[in-house]
Amino acid sequence: MTHSVVGKSVTRLDALAKVTGQAKYCTDIKLPGMLHAKVLRSPYAHARILSIDTSKAEKLQGVRVVITGEDVPPKRFGASVFDQHVLARSVVRYVGDPVAAVAADTIEIAERALELIHVEYEGMPAVFDVEEAWQTSPAAVVHPDLPEYQLAKFPSLQLVPERPNVCNYRTVRCGDVEKGFQEADLIIENRFTTPRIQHCPFEPHVCIAQLEADGSLTIYAGRQSIFLAKQYLCSLFELPPSKIRVIASYYIGGGFGSKVTLYTEPIAVVLAIKTQRPVRLAYTREEMFASGGTRVPFVIHIKDGVKRNGSIIARKMMMLLDMGAYAGSGPFITRNSIYGIVAGYRLPNLKVDAYAVYTNQPIVASFRGFGTTQVVWAIESQMDIIAEKLKMDAVELRRKNLLKEGDMNATGEIVHSIGLRECLDKVADLIEWDKNTKQEKGSWKRGKGLALGNKYSMAPTAAVGVVKVLEDGTIEVRESADEMGQGCITVLAQIAAEEFGVSMDRVKVVWGDTNFTPYFSRGSTSQRSTFNLGNAVRLACQDAKRQLCEIATQKLQAPPEDMDIKDGKIYVRSERSKAIDIKELFTAERELLPGEFGNYVEKKGEVVGKAVSVTPAAPSDPLTAQIPSDIARQGGRLTAFYGYAAQAVEVLVNTETGEIKVERIAAATDVGYPLNPKMCEQQIEGGVSMGLSSALWEEVVLDRGKVLNPNFRDYKVASASNMPKIDNVKVSIVIAPHKDGPYGAKGTGETQMTPTAPAIANAVYNAVGVRIRDLPMTREKIIVGKRHKNEGQQKKQAR
Amino acid sequence: MKQALELKVNGQLYEVFVEPWQSLAEVLREELGFTGVRVSCNTGDCGSCTVIVDGKAVKSCLMLAPQAKGKEIITIEGLAQDGKLHPLQEAFIDHFAVQCGYCTSGMILMAKTLLDESPDATEEEIRAGLSGNFCRCTGYVKIVEAIMAAKEKMNFAR
Ligand code: FES
Ligand code: FES
Repeated sequence: MTHSVVGKSVTRLDALAKVTGQAKYCTDIKLPGMLHAKVLRSPYAHARILSIDTSKAEKLQGVRVVITGEDVPPKRFGASVFDQHVLARSVVRYVGDPVAAVAADTIEIAERALELIHVEYEGMPAVFDVEEAWQTSPAAVVHPDLPEYQLAKFPSLQLVPERPNVCNYRTVRCGDVEKGFQEADLIIENRFTTPRIQHCPFEPHVCIAQLEADGSLTIYAGRQSIFLAKQYLCSLFELPPSKIRVIASYYIGGGFGSKVTLYTEPIAVVLAIKTQRPVRLAYTREEMFASGGTRVPFVIHIKDGVKRNGSIIARKMMMLLDMGAYAGSGPFITRNSIYGIVAGYRLPNLKVDAYAVYTNQPIVASFRGFGTTQVVWAIESQMDIIAEKLKMDAVELRRKNLLKEGDMNATGEIVHSIGLRECLDKVADLIEWDKNTKQEKGSWKRGKGLALGNKYSMAPTAAVGVVKVLEDGTIEVRESADEMGQGCITVLAQIAAEEFGVSMDRVKVVWGDTNFTPYFSRGSTSQRSTFNLGNAVRLACQDAKRQLCEIATQKLQAPPEDMDIKDGKIYVRSERSKAIDIKELFTAERELLPGEFGNYVEKKGEVVGKAVSVTPAAPSDPLTAQIPSDIARQGGRLTAFYGYAAQAVEVLVNTETGEIKVERIAAATDVGYPLNPKMCEQQIEGGVSMGLSSALWEEVVLDRGKVLNPNFRDYKVASASNMPKIDNVKVSIVIAPHKDGPYGAKGTGETQMTPTAPAIANAVYNAVGVRIRDLPMTREKIIVGKRHKNEGQQKKQAR
Repeated sequence: MKQALELKVNGQLYEVFVEPWQSLAEVLREELGFTGVRVSCNTGDCGSCTVIVDGKAVKSCLMLAPQAKGKEIITIEGLAQDGKLHPLQEAFIDHFAVQCGYCTSGMILMAKTLLDESPDATEEEIRAGLSGNFCRCTGYVKIVEAIMAAKEKMNFAR
């Protein structure tokens, strides 16, 4: 199949605006009369609010309103469990829990007003450790009224009455693990953890809320998924959908999952209603760390039963997911984390138990990977441990257990579009896996390691594409994916250009306004925009083309079935010389009367193509997560698709200081089909560096629930000098077309994040023999690990 | 108390009324509308607010506006000359060095001062020079590539 625009690395549509500083973000918007808001937050991890005195703050000049829990809706909101009030109403549950808010003429006045609010608290016992919180009699119950809380309709959640902090329990049962363990030659059991990390999108959370004269609300937000926000806000403020408009029709300064649920919006809305003025609430970087959402920390127990020949015959995983004080999308992550387990390997016997557990820690959010990164960390570290025990090559062991096209995975899905083997071979080749690593003298030790990764995209979902043909022949794509840097507008424009046979400059994209752009269920999440919206836009183009051909029948004197469109012209297939410009359809067929103007299509008014792309999900058993086999055989799936990846790295580890340097990286991602190869590389490289950063340094450090490092000085993210030389970062794109993807494409924003940390950990082990089970791989852990190892060796020798 | 202050930005003079404690970033963005100056941390730790003051890269969230009095300030809006993009801007576009774009202004201006100071900077030096300018999206590969390419082009033009 040859394409003229898709498959090419065309220039990003947003690049010019961004390099000249012209690009606009939510942060840049100012509205007439706009007030500025600030939030007073709890200094305690768990406490009762005895009283709040706002009188002094209210008297400060320039303060327009002060609100507390009494002013917010009595209803709770949430992405899965409705567990959160807009402002705490009687109890605070984490350090950073919003307690009061101020709207004032300037940010400085609002800040000063916060200092004048006096809150009296009474401390309550708190629980910080997820394993403690999971117990049947934990030190504290974060939400005693949980059984009465409203739960979202999707996904369906399961509570565990005897474990009061558990807000979702998800299980997989496939085959018989106990029997598998009995048949195994080797049993390997380990515990792995991942810490709380922050997304650090460069534009912090921000929104402006405005109450309109008719009582409706307009919310400008720097966020992902405007329709989700609309739905959440409608439910929270009990307004019909027609009364809420959410706008993100500008650029978003990164998201990585952090901007999916509500943070700033509900507070700004209450303030806007009270003051009848537009109210802007922007988080500081410090607030981002404390209250802007974090990645769900996992504790993972994994037990594998393996045959001597390397085949894994049983796997059992028990996982505790730390939700923090309000669950956000955490219970959803609990549900979906199982897809990361079943995606890559043949697992005839699998048992998974995953618990979402409340603690008095900062809130969680979706995060690039959505649980897959965490499970892959455990699985891919475990794979290397197994390989060593079996004295088997790590690549060989993985190859032996890989799923392939047409296999059935452990939930009953039939595997389709799996480029995993190719990814593995590619990175092994690029890192020269078979060549021995050259050892250095001195305290730097060199090692290689690799890991596989994957990331599904969620189902069910729906996307609507709208394509309008403008009077000059330009194709205008209207869509509701959020342009947060991943490049969706460019890819969607490429699809429209391809379908219409025009160059990119004949296409324009309009996005991000629930009043004007079409429905897109969850927006840019779950690496789904290319796949879902790509299909919708493609079909919408076909609809618009059909309409154009119909309109052209009279002028071309031919049946529409005999027409096609290319280069802005409608032509008759059987008689190529008969053609007209799309533009001409916008001029009246009769002569215009004096003073009359044209620029519309006679009779139809305008040409708007529309289409829906629905990705259904098969039903699955709530306890076993299995798809009924008849539905599976018909191709029923739980996910839209799986992206696959492999990564291999070479590291230097300093045995004296514990420092780790990543020297070489080879990353391969199966993207289905690359609609824009350079932009696929962008996602791969971004995933590699975020993964590297999270592997080596990132952790939100907490002391009794308080964040100790809420800034880029103390919370380290990778800089240019931490990355290997450009020639040593080898990226390759693997093609495994998906039958339902546009031109075979799948999404790829998240996939390459997943193998990064275990690849590095495996390389570190290879270099110095220290197995890191708890991220991040700090220097102390290397040194301590090294010491233990030496002591162990000495003991062995002494014996 | 707000005080009158004259600032020279991208070759033009502006008179603004500012509080003595207002940062240069805030004044450029909020008072003068140079929103290409991006503020990501406001504590001097990320580099996104980098502007050029008298030829030196400065984190404008850390500099007080009055300190910039009488100095030549260049923001990203002032980099293109006579409608022609600076080679760095071109290279950032051509090499796909831009994703969300929030770090881009600072990154380009930092790269400009680096290359102005050492036109033959090696990859290593460029990397080290960028170590105070963070990017959460790109993984830096394409940013470094773009800067290397712009360097070649600028040296060729010299
Ligand atoms: S905003 Fe100035 S250094 Fe981060
Ligand atoms: S492009 Fe997003 S922070 Fe650099």
